[in-house]
Amino acid sequence: MRGRRIGVALGAGVVALVLAACGTTEAPAGTPTSPAPASGAQISVTDARGKQITFGGPATRAVGLEWALVEYLVTLGVMPVGVADVQGYSAWVQAAPLTEGVRDVGVRGEPSIEAIAALRPDVVFAASDVNEGALTQLEAIAPVVVVRDADASDPLGQMRRNVELVAQVTGKQAEADQMLAGFDSALAEGAQRIAAAGLAGRRIAFADGYLDGGRLSIRPFTEGSLIETVSQELGLVNAWPMAGDENYGLASTDVEGLTTLGDVEFVYWTNKVEGADPFVEGLAGNAVWQSLPFVQAGNVTRLPDGIWMFGGPASMRQYVDAITAALAG
Amino acid sequence: MQDALVAPRVASRATVAAVAALGVAIVLLLSAVHLTQGTSGVAAADLLALLTGAGTDQTAAVLVASRLPRLLAGVVVGAALGAAGAALQSITRNALAAPDTLAVNAGAHLVIVACAAFGLVVPVEASALLAFAGGLGAAALVFGISGGGTGPTRLVLAGSAVSLALFALVSVLILLFTEETTGLYAWGSGQLAQIGLGSVARMAPVVLLGIVALVALGRRLDVLGLGDDTAVVLGVPVRRTRVVAAVLAVLLSAAAVTVAGPVGFVGLCAPAVVRLFAPLVPGLYRHRMLVPMSALAGVGVVLAADVLVRLALGGQGGIEVPTGVVTTVFGAVVLVAVARRFRDSGPVRQAPAARSGRLRDRRTFLVVTAVTLALTVAVTAGSLLLGDAFLLMGDVANWVAGRAGPVTTFVLDARVPRVLAALLAGAALAVAGAVVQSVCRNPLAEPALLGVSGGAGVAAVAMITIVPTVGVWTLTGSAALGALAASALVFGLAARGGLATDRLVLVGVGVSYGSMALITLMIVFTDPWNEAKALTWLAGSTYGRTFPQVIPVAVVLVLAVGGFVRARDELDLLALDDDTPRVLGVPLGRSRLALLAAAAVLTATAVSAIGLLAFVGLVAPHAARALVGARHARVLPVAAMLGGLLVCLADVLGRTVIAPAQLPAGTLTALIGTPYFAWLLWRSRVATG
Repeated sequence: MRGRRIGVALGAGVVALVLAACGTTEAPAGTPTSPAPASGAQISVTDARGKQITFGGPATRAVGLEWALVEYLVTLGVMPVGVADVQGYSAWVQAAPLTEGVRDVGVRGEPSIEAIAALRPDVVFAASDVNEGALTQLEAIAPVVVVRDADASDPLGQMRRNVELVAQVTGKQAEADQMLAGFDSALAEGAQRIAAAGLAGRRIAFADGYLDGGRLSIRPFTEGSLIETVSQELGLVNAWPMAGDENYGLASTDVEGLTTLGDVEFVYWTNKVEGADPFVEGLAGNAVWQSLPFVQAGNVTRLPDGIWMFGGPASMRQYVDAITAALAG
Repeated sequence: MQDALVAPRVASRATVAAVAALGVAIVLLLSAVHLTQGTSGVAAADLLALLTGAGTDQTAAVLVASRLPRLLAGVVVGAALGAAGAALQSITRNALAAPDTLAVNAGAHLVIVACAAFGLVVPVEASALLAFAGGLGAAALVFGISGGGTGPTRLVLAGSAVSLALFALVSVLILLFTEETTGLYAWGSGQLAQIGLGSVARMAPVVLLGIVALVALGRRLDVLGLGDDTAVVLGVPVRRTRVVAAVLAVLLSAAAVTVAGPVGFVGLCAPAVVRLFAPLVPGLYRHRMLVPMSALAGVGVVLAADVLVRLALGGQGGIEVPTGVVTTVFGAVVLVAVARRFRDSGPVRQAPAARSGRLRDRRTFLVVTAVTLALTVAVTAGSLLLGDAFLLMGDVANWVAGRAGPVTTFVLDARVPRVLAALLAGAALAVAGAVVQSVCRNPLAEPALLGVSGGAGVAAVAMITIVPTVGVWTLTGSAALGALAASALVFGLAARGGLATDRLVLVGVGVSYGSMALITLMIVFTDPWNEAKALTWLAGSTYGRTFPQVIPVAVVLVLAVGGFVRARDELDLLALDDDTPRVLGVPLGRSRLALLAAAAVLTATAVSAIGLLAFVGLVAPHAARALVGARHARVLPVAAMLGGLLVCLADVLGRTVIAPAQLPAGTLTALIGTPYFAWLLWRSRVATG
């Protein structure tokens, strides 16, 4: 009997709930309309999957799921409507700040499809590691342009192609040309300053590090990383002996692995949101660190926070400025 | 089993000394090899040069600030866990008690991660104290719900359940506090690397004191091994000795966790290795030898794992692959080996809920079914409405009618497959669990605990690692093969003396730990920065599910349920005993095999749809039996609904609570399922304890 009473109560509860939840948050669709009204000529691009995507006109409501893509958008003058992990972006990518109204669509690895749908975007820019099922669901919402955000065999070329791809979709080719030209002259100028300081051919080791508990993992930016290639353009030479992964040119090592470097400029980046400085505070009193020739010579540089090392021309210009200022004074 | 833990009378000092010397020699050899491994070019020759005074300052620095700290971390952690394991096994008279199976490591780990998450910066000593409190709390909980912890199966199950829940809490914290806990995810598997001697130097005295104190307790522990009554007669305070030894063991484990994170199953392995030699050297059974020798064996296990990783993968590999994952693989093998040596522990242990003799009447069944159905409908409806975007029923009605507005359409197009995946996978696991429990006549058997889910996961992750663009059906197919292979392995290993024994569960738990470690190993090694992938496979997630991915589960569920409905009477008979079905002409072997295979395939589809989900296959059938009695015609539909309900609820909470970010469904299933499971064990402790 008790069961029945509970059953009745629950049933009533369910009914009440269903009644309370009636109504709609959105009016039913009348006749289906095509999303964005075409303004201007059709735009057709081929993305990293080799998929051809056609737009009725320049896309204006863009969502960016990888920070480099967001940086391209902002610097080209298209403020995205949605960005994955806005808080993280704001801490790590200061070259291209977001305005107030940009909506957070969740974490980069698993962005919220629902948050993106609610934004009614007319394009979603995603990196090539997005979950396949999520990609299918995103494509129902808006055309998804998949971008290979890094390629260790040609990092700068990949960056240029990405900028151009994003510019094409958003109708900002002129801005892109200007931006890339500006980037090239910044590189040339930086190279001149490095050469003038007599640093051409100087060996450089760029890294970041994560301190947790009693352990420091160091991530070398090896040959093929964007940073290493930009440094090379400046006339500096990669000192890391190991190979990195095929996309980002990243490897891993520990303090001991730094002994293979010899006499180099050691340059690292971190961010205050990470807490203690992994190298200066983490390695204070560490005998290996203190035995390193570049530590003894004082050739250790922490770059200013907020330069995104996997970013676009704007971040890379920041890097060029920071590294030339640090090395060539 | 028990005889192995009793101190025999004969002990030859010479043999004991010889074995100890041999152990020390092996550990020294391992240490020597360990010192030559690392990421720099410093090799054996350079270290030798250092001895003769010809080495460089940098070589000396590498030795002092990198190689030695890592070696000493291994020594401290191994010794602490080995001694802790020996003590715990003695006081529980249970060869499967260890810091891992008692959730001590998980408790200590959770406290440390929680400190990081809430921004508490504490010195090493304080963090060890906090870890100690966490470990003690977890161990007390496990002892409590397993009813004193004398039965090996109950202890291991309670420990596994509590560990699972605590690790689920850890992943919730890591997901909620990503910034504060960067790096702790990998640390969660046990890492030896150190940036200095700091934490090792602070923890070494604690560990040394702990071991000395345990050795000092040695005589009493020896007497305790003779049985509580004998001990009382001989004037040993049984209760106090137990408590003191347990506290010391927890302190040792907490010290180890503070240094290197939870290094898996060393506390289980090390005493097992010692016991391997014990029949040859009877003196080893005495605790004054057993404790230090287990500590030595612990050091050997940890160093061997670390040496092995770096031999196989090079110095850089030793940074990427957590040492604890490798020791967990070792531990899984030992767990299976120890479990296999178990003699049949008498009558089948059954939780009362499972053998509920009360014949429930038809009306109760109908009421329960109606209520469960209503709840399932309500939760399903709720999970359609809740999420990152909140909808109302009218939106859903419009969507069903195909005339919803665009945003509603997109949201529901993405949400409905996820809800379906949760419902169907939950139902599939519950049905598989109900069938496995009946066929094995073991109420504790379930696909995840038996390693079947783990086997499916290993095969699926291997498949997507080799062929990233693999299709849904191929993925499901390979998961099914993995599940069948794992079932064959578990049942094959446990076959001696029939299936319906505790041994099956213990072997299964071993295989499931092993497969989890293998999955971690594969992901860390091939895709180290892909936390999303790791979470999907290890915790179970519905993220990015689409209709095509849900179809295999639906198809197999319909087929299997159809088959089980036809076989319902057979299932009822198989659950009774061996004789009744035989008398009634049921082909015992063949039906068992067919039913188990069907359950394995059912599990595999669920795993390939949403990853490893713990406890659904155990909890749902139990609850169903408790509600409607043991007849399968009634248990199966109710269990299916309860399973779907549980996973769906977990999923909707995970999608809503921290939106737009999300928690994986499996994490919440563990958090919801474990208390029920713990209650189940606790309630049945009197009946079997």
